[in-house]
Amino acid sequence: MRGAVTRLNPLVLMSFGVASLLGSFAVRDASSAVAAVLAYAVAAVVFLPSWRYPLLCLALCGVSAVLVAVSAWRLGNGDHAPVAAARILVLAWPGSVMIGFVDPSALGDHAAQRLRVPARFVASFVAVVQRMTDFSATWQQLDRTRRVRAMGPGRNPLAWVRHAGSMTFGMLASSLRGAGRMSIAMDARGFATASGRTWALPAPWTRLDSAGLVVAVALGAVPAIARLAT
Amino acid sequence: MPDGEIRYRGFTWRPLGRRLPVVTGLDLTIGPGERVLLAGPSGAGKSTLLHALVGALGTTLGGELSGTVEVGGRVGLVPQQPGDAVVAETIGRDVAFGPENVGLSRDEIWRRVDAALDAVGLHQGRAHRTSALSGGELQRLALAGVLALRPDVVLLDEPTSMLDVDHARSVRDAVRETVASSGSTLVVVEHHLEPWLDMVDRVVVLDRDGAVVADVHPDAFVRDHRDALGDLGVWMPGLPSPVPVTVDPDLLRPVTPPPALTARGVDAVLRSRSLRGATQTRALNGVDAVVEPGRLTALTGPSGAGKSTLLAVLGGLVRPTSGGVTGPEPPLHRRRSAALAADVGWVPQIAEHGFVATTVRDEVTRTADRLGRVADAEALLALLGLEHLAGAHPYRLSGGEQRRLSLLTAVAHRPGLVLLDEPTVGQDRGTWAAVAGVAVAAAAAGAGVAVSTHDSDLVALSDAQIALRQGVRQ
Repeated sequence: MRGAVTRLNPLVLMSFGVASLLGSFAVRDASSAVAAVLAYAVAAVVFLPSWRYPLLCLALCGVSAVLVAVSAWRLGNGDHAPVAAARILVLAWPGSVMIGFVDPSALGDHAAQRLRVPARFVASFVAVVQRMTDFSATWQQLDRTRRVRAMGPGRNPLAWVRHAGSMTFGMLASSLRGAGRMSIAMDARGFATASGRTWALPAPWTRLDSAGLVVAVALGAVPAIARLAT
Repeated sequence: MPDGEIRYRGFTWRPLGRRLPVVTGLDLTIGPGERVLLAGPSGAGKSTLLHALVGALGTTLGGELSGTVEVGGRVGLVPQQPGDAVVAETIGRDVAFGPENVGLSRDEIWRRVDAALDAVGLHQGRAHRTSALSGGELQRLALAGVLALRPDVVLLDEPTSMLDVDHARSVRDAVRETVASSGSTLVVVEHHLEPWLDMVDRVVVLDRDGAVVADVHPDAFVRDHRDALGDLGVWMPGLPSPVPVTVDPDLLRPVTPPPALTARGVDAVLRSRSLRGATQTRALNGVDAVVEPGRLTALTGPSGAGKSTLLAVLGGLVRPTSGGVTGPEPPLHRRRSAALAADVGWVPQIAEHGFVATTVRDEVTRTADRLGRVADAEALLALLGLEHLAGAHPYRLSGGEQRRLSLLTAVAHRPGLVLLDEPTVGQDRGTWAAVAGVAVAAAAAGAGVAVSTHDSDLVALSDAQIALRQGVRQ
């Protein structure tokens, strides 16, 4: 059960995010808020292979949830603050978790073959997303070269800011130049003249995918059902 | 125009940010099925000629283009920096990119993918992650991606520069087979010409200004042009290895004499992971190594053997999974930036990642400035033939020029430990002699110098060797 999510169709994975986003509009009172957050938490325990990643996403979404709650409270709407926070969690958390499990190549296959998204757009999108997985390696490399060239940040917090700026600029320059070179390499492999592009792998829809879609819709419907029930 | 034909007419290219064109008024025609080796000194515009054929000049690369460039049929290019060609997470899917673009059926795509991976000797399986490949393996992957496309024109930009002798041979064999069976036109840019000569039927040599100085049959090329082109910097077969240039030891003498650096039982596991799976590569496995001051130590072994990782571990840039490195106090990997830089200079495999300044001159002196040391930028730039580029932006240099600049950034502040990752890639005879001269002179001046390299000429200059294979000391 806990590995199932890694076998799901990427479109189904994305449907969890879409369903939770639509469902979040129905989070209007304490009962729907509690029911929705609990439902997603239970689903995470039952279906996800590890705890660490969803918790990290929860923490990040939690920052925005707390900010929304604080501003609701500051605006004199203190009673509503916890519900507003829960709505942000329901809106953002499931999608942010599921996107991490999407394989860019599989998403491309399904977008192109099932949703008929234009092939050139899909192929370049996949290549760019793939490149993002290189970011951590490039960041590491930039950090090492700066450290060994006496350009590391040291203890001073101001230097940390400068260092982050220099690294970000380095990443930007490296990405822009990498993008140029990658586009040359892609064009030089028939991409420039590609028409009638085919796909090396099929985009199958399995029973597991249907089941996943049902779960996604059911979870998205939890807040609405909770409101009707109370 | 017929498939496989290439025609340059009055071709001139001045890249953005350079005052003078790198190629001026070039006229060159290559017939369908011809196999051409393109040679010339570092910075002669060889890669530019290939970029012109894939339509990158004036579009992806900024600059001023005049004259015409025409090419017939489908073109496939293996770029100089091998990571640039990667478009997918797995090697199978990556090689499939070209066949997908030309609309082949699924069966045919995978037939070609398997054949191409086999031809270049990548046997890890279709699902192996591209992020787990070494520089040399990426180079072979890029070639497989082009071979699977079966193009009318195959363009190779230094396709074996990062490879050991065996892998380089297997790549050449793969190219030979593909070109022979498909009859495609072949243009190879290489510095080490000899192994390619029996495969090509024409050699075109450019000089420093991008003009054609020789356009001959391989036999005549070796017979008639050996000395003249050798002087120009071309790696002519039959010439003795260049003699490293003599370098003033004061330019390189370590500010603090270094202790010996000893690695014992070093394991390093590199992880490439995402939520959907992880690939662990055991880059080093119980490696013992010593880098003595005053000696040039060469790290050798096939691509993917763990040479770069060992260099990074020695320099305190990568913390080993187990085992350790002793010698300098405090240990290098615990040091803060300035304390590390005071004793270590490092040339990364991708030179661009190390650049932090906006001019070549500033790049050379930057680390020394931060450490309060004095670096003689003019002398160092002149030594490596970069003095005319002192005001240029480091990103605007050619591949070989960037590598030399990167070398200067590692030695200008006179550290006691100099770590060089493939420093001679992309160098002609002249610039090779300068790069090798710096490595030898740094050791002679008292620094501990370690180079990771496939270059047998450089290995021949070393005082000690550490051979690795699949992460294990041989």
